[in-house]
Amino acid sequence: MDEPDPDSTLPTSVDERVLLVEDDPSIREVAAIGLKGAGFRVTTSGDGRDGLLRARRDPFDVVLLDVMLPSLDGFEVCREIRKDSRVPIVMLTARTDTIDVVVGLESGADDYVTKPFEMAELIARVRAVLRRSAAEPAERTHSVGGLEIDPGSFAARMDGRELSLTATEFKLLLELARRPGQVFTRELLLQRVWNYEYLGDSRLVDVAIQRLRSKVEADPAHPTLIRTVRGVGYRLERG
Amino acid sequence: MPRRGVQPGRLRRRLTIAFVLVAGISAGALALGSYLLVRQARMDDSVGRAKTEALRELRAAGSVVAGAPAGAFEVQNLLAGPESSGIHALFVAGAAGPTPSSPSVDPAIPADLRTLVDRGRLAYRRVAFGGTPYLMMGSRIPGSTDELYLLFDEHSLFHDLGVLRDVLVLGWVGVILVAAVVGRTLAKETLEPVGRASEAARHIADGLLDTRLEVSGGDEFGAWAASFNRMAEALEAKVAALSEAQARERRFTSDVAHELRTPVAALVGEASLLHEHLDRMPEDARRLAELVVHDVARLRRLVEDLMEISRLDAGREPVQPEMVDVANLVKGVVRTRGWLSGVTVEGDGGAVWTDRRRLERVLANLVGNAVEHGRRGVRVWIGMVGQDLVVEVSDRGPGISADNLPHLFERFYKSDPARAGGGSGLGLAIVQENVRLLGGEIEVRSEVGVGTQFRVVLPVTEPLRAGDVTVSARTDHEAQSPSSEGGT
Repeated sequence: MDEPDPDSTLPTSVDERVLLVEDDPSIREVAAIGLKGAGFRVTTSGDGRDGLLRARRDPFDVVLLDVMLPSLDGFEVCREIRKDSRVPIVMLTARTDTIDVVVGLESGADDYVTKPFEMAELIARVRAVLRRSAAEPAERTHSVGGLEIDPGSFAARMDGRELSLTATEFKLLLELARRPGQVFTRELLLQRVWNYEYLGDSRLVDVAIQRLRSKVEADPAHPTLIRTVRGVGYRLERG
Repeated sequence: MPRRGVQPGRLRRRLTIAFVLVAGISAGALALGSYLLVRQARMDDSVGRAKTEALRELRAAGSVVAGAPAGAFEVQNLLAGPESSGIHALFVAGAAGPTPSSPSVDPAIPADLRTLVDRGRLAYRRVAFGGTPYLMMGSRIPGSTDELYLLFDEHSLFHDLGVLRDVLVLGWVGVILVAAVVGRTLAKETLEPVGRASEAARHIADGLLDTRLEVSGGDEFGAWAASFNRMAEALEAKVAALSEAQARERRFTSDVAHELRTPVAALVGEASLLHEHLDRMPEDARRLAELVVHDVARLRRLVEDLMEISRLDAGREPVQPEMVDVANLVKGVVRTRGWLSGVTVEGDGGAVWTDRRRLERVLANLVGNAVEHGRRGVRVWIGMVGQDLVVEVSDRGPGISADNLPHLFERFYKSDPARAGGGSGLGLAIVQENVRLLGGEIEVRSEVGVGTQFRVVLPVTEPLRAGDVTVSARTDHEAQSPSSEGGT
């Protein structure tokens, strides 16, 4: 498994590099074929530790992680990658384990795709996370209370202190900060932040909000900045 | 349940009453018998002593009268004898009225006694005078036609008998009281194992199969408790074996579904790519590829349904309630699955507190089922009835016969084998399990040739969470307080 596939990295017309870590050879191969067909440059690995090494060694635009992996499971790999990288991560989870979704998102994943998936769905998700991490066109810096969000440099500060946010978390905070005081429904946030036009899973939003709170709130258990609006969604207090 | 109609303690009361009755009747009979015997003996004895006394007095009187008719002096003399020894007397001469020895004691002489004495007999009668009971014994004075009646005071005799009677009655009452207490205690002790056994049986009926009775003593109850325990053990073992078998079966189903998951995931990915490349395939291979794509989709549905039902069986499906706009949810389900042309959605349940994914699963399966069998004219109605959310999904399909209706929610049940559709055969079973998980109920009505209607009733509760903010947005039954802060 540690042996790299000889032709796992193929040059393609676009520059986007995908790391696919998946232990089942058939799924790995079919996903690689599909992604290559869609124009991505794909590197595959069938092992958690090996996948982590590759993620650290080479720069990737997106990482696809299976949960069940030999030597190091997907959540661990995700947490390790997150320590020094904000590369978008998509977990490949089984629908069986609803808990996997939450654990995966809490480990720092940006999104998840449930197995079995059709290639079109996987590719759409990968494109969606890539769009999310793309830098915003020139937009002024938003200041809300002690928060400062600069879309140009992808940086967020709380009372001058630099916040370490993933692409999804940054996008979510930016979306809320564009209209402080306004209530955003989960559906709207799914559309704007995750680029989902269909009925998505609102847990994506809830878990991302929790992670965001743990980074910006003084007391995440009693949020004063990002408030839950019961039955509707979330809003950022004007400060 | 035969629990109704049983009155605890009735048998105990009956036993106590029987015990008291037996003790009371025997003690009463014994007391009455001894009282009557003593009374008879004492009265006979009194008569005997009176007779001896009377004969002596009569002899003395005979010597006073001594054949001649008694004058006033003789009578006085004659009466002074008994009076001096404490016995009042009456002297009767011929048809004249009686002359008492003491003027204050002058009872009438009973006619039948006079008759007997007139015939020359020694006779007695019991009379009462001035509240004192007397034994009146009379006879002709020897050697004369005059008669002498002697009054023996029986006051102490009757007093003694009265005391005896009172003592016996008191004793009898005491015996009854003691019998009541002893009987009650005995009945309680005797019946206590029955009470314990009935409680143990109730525990077993409630599912506490490890309930056992204490086997105490070698009596009938001890033996019975031992057999009860053997029965409980057998029952427990049987139930354990059954649930173990069921768990094994479910584990197997779950394992099968689990093992199928990875190859199916690969197949689904492969089929989706194959589908994209159909145009580039030669004509004869294309049809086969289409079939592969179609059957992989079927296999995927089956495996996913199998996994869901085994998760539901294992109780591993968490309920995550949130506010859900039901009408929006239904419309979303209909839109995303491409059923817009054949389905009309009516009514509005507003926003309710429930698990979005579970409810979506229920609605998608029901509407999908209706679309598959009803084809056109599927109608979804949503509304609140009291505190419950009600969703009705009706179609105007061929309907389901009454024979098949009760089995509709069984796993892999196909009402018409020839018409087996694209479903896994688990769809309605999954609907039922999910509705149960949400605490609701589902029922189905159908008429052949008219259509079928599924009705889901879900209880909707809305627990308030601290720290949440409530606004009046979109939903009309949300609280009216815009932006009011919750506690904490």
